[in-house]
Amino acid sequence: MILTGNKIIEEVESGKIEITPFDKSRITTNSYDLSLGETIIRYKTEIIDPKVETPYEEIKIPSDGMVLNLGDFVLGHSNERIGSDFYVPMIHGKSGTARMGLFVHVTADLIDIGSHGVTTFQLYATLPVRLHVGMLISQVSFWVPFGDIVLYKGKYQNSTGPKPSMTYKDFKYDIFKKD
Amino acid sequence: MILTGSKIKEEVKKGNITIGPFSVEQVNPNSYNYRLGSVLKVFDKFDGNKSVFREISIPEEGYVLEPRKMYLATTKEIIGSSKYAMSLIGRSSMGRYGLFLQCSANLGHTTSKHRWTLEIVATMPIRLYPEMIIGQVSFWKNYGAVKKYSGQYGFLNHPQESFAPDKQENYDSNRK
Repeated sequence: MILTGNKIIEEVESGKIEITPFDKSRITTNSYDLSLGETIIRYKTEIIDPKVETPYEEIKIPSDGMVLNLGDFVLGHSNERIGSDFYVPMIHGKSGTARMGLFVHVTADLIDIGSHGVTTFQLYATLPVRLHVGMLISQVSFWVPFGDIVLYKGKYQNSTGPKPSMTYKDFKYDIFKKD
Repeated sequence: MILTGSKIKEEVKKGNITIGPFSVEQVNPNSYNYRLGSVLKVFDKFDGNKSVFREISIPEEGYVLEPRKMYLATTKEIIGSSKYAMSLIGRSSMGRYGLFLQCSANLGHTTSKHRWTLEIVATMPIRLYPEMIIGQVSFWKNYGAVKKYSGQYGFLNHPQESFAPDKQENYDSNRK
């Protein structure tokens, strides 16, 4: 079951959903609109190797915006801190963003229950697009879980900006280990 | 409703969810982390009607994907459920590298059970290793009576390119 916009407002007020800052006018029928923050991460490497840390640069989006060219992949972030210990959040593009040919995630829409922080956008442009700070780029929906809840305690908890992948320091288990 | 990690474990024990091999360490708060298999199908050419792939084993030192070109692979695990619908996606750590694990076809039908074919697209060159943890599958409660899966892919355990017929006459019956 997916929460309606009215239910999201109720649960933000009751503290079961965190959206900070929260602006009621951004509630949609089944989601909440997220805005783009000012920091962008661009990887600086020829070939990504998940076994080693990938070098990257941080860029601030200037006041006149920043153009992504066709095929560009960068990381961005939401201005809002989001999370819930009671519902499962899921990230989507807004249809207006998608109509510009821009992906906001790369087949990784599901957020773990108990994960809190600003969300990292995986921005992939299939056409040239100009990004502006504060543009409503994405939406988050909330889903009812079934079963006992064990909260997320992973390596991206409490992100305050875009977080590059940290596969190289997966400490919970070796992701490359064969059985 | 989406199953929590605890519920996924319970249902694996009861046999309502199949994940094989299953490792408790790969259970997330509301999904299961699956591994990449060790076979990759690499696009070779378009023969005028369909894409032709050649199959390779992913070497231990990894294989570098070229951007904006689709590769087929499978999950290492056999994944399925007699009771729940499934959604198979990438994990955020791979999404953060710009790696797509499927091409907008995430939905897994209740009663299908197999090694899922992955449609992998890299937006940047990336090295993939055999059997690395690469994506997640979530399980969803159904609403309504379940009809047994009768598709043509949901029992296959090898990366399988599309069976879509390549002649117009095969589609004519779909025209109004």
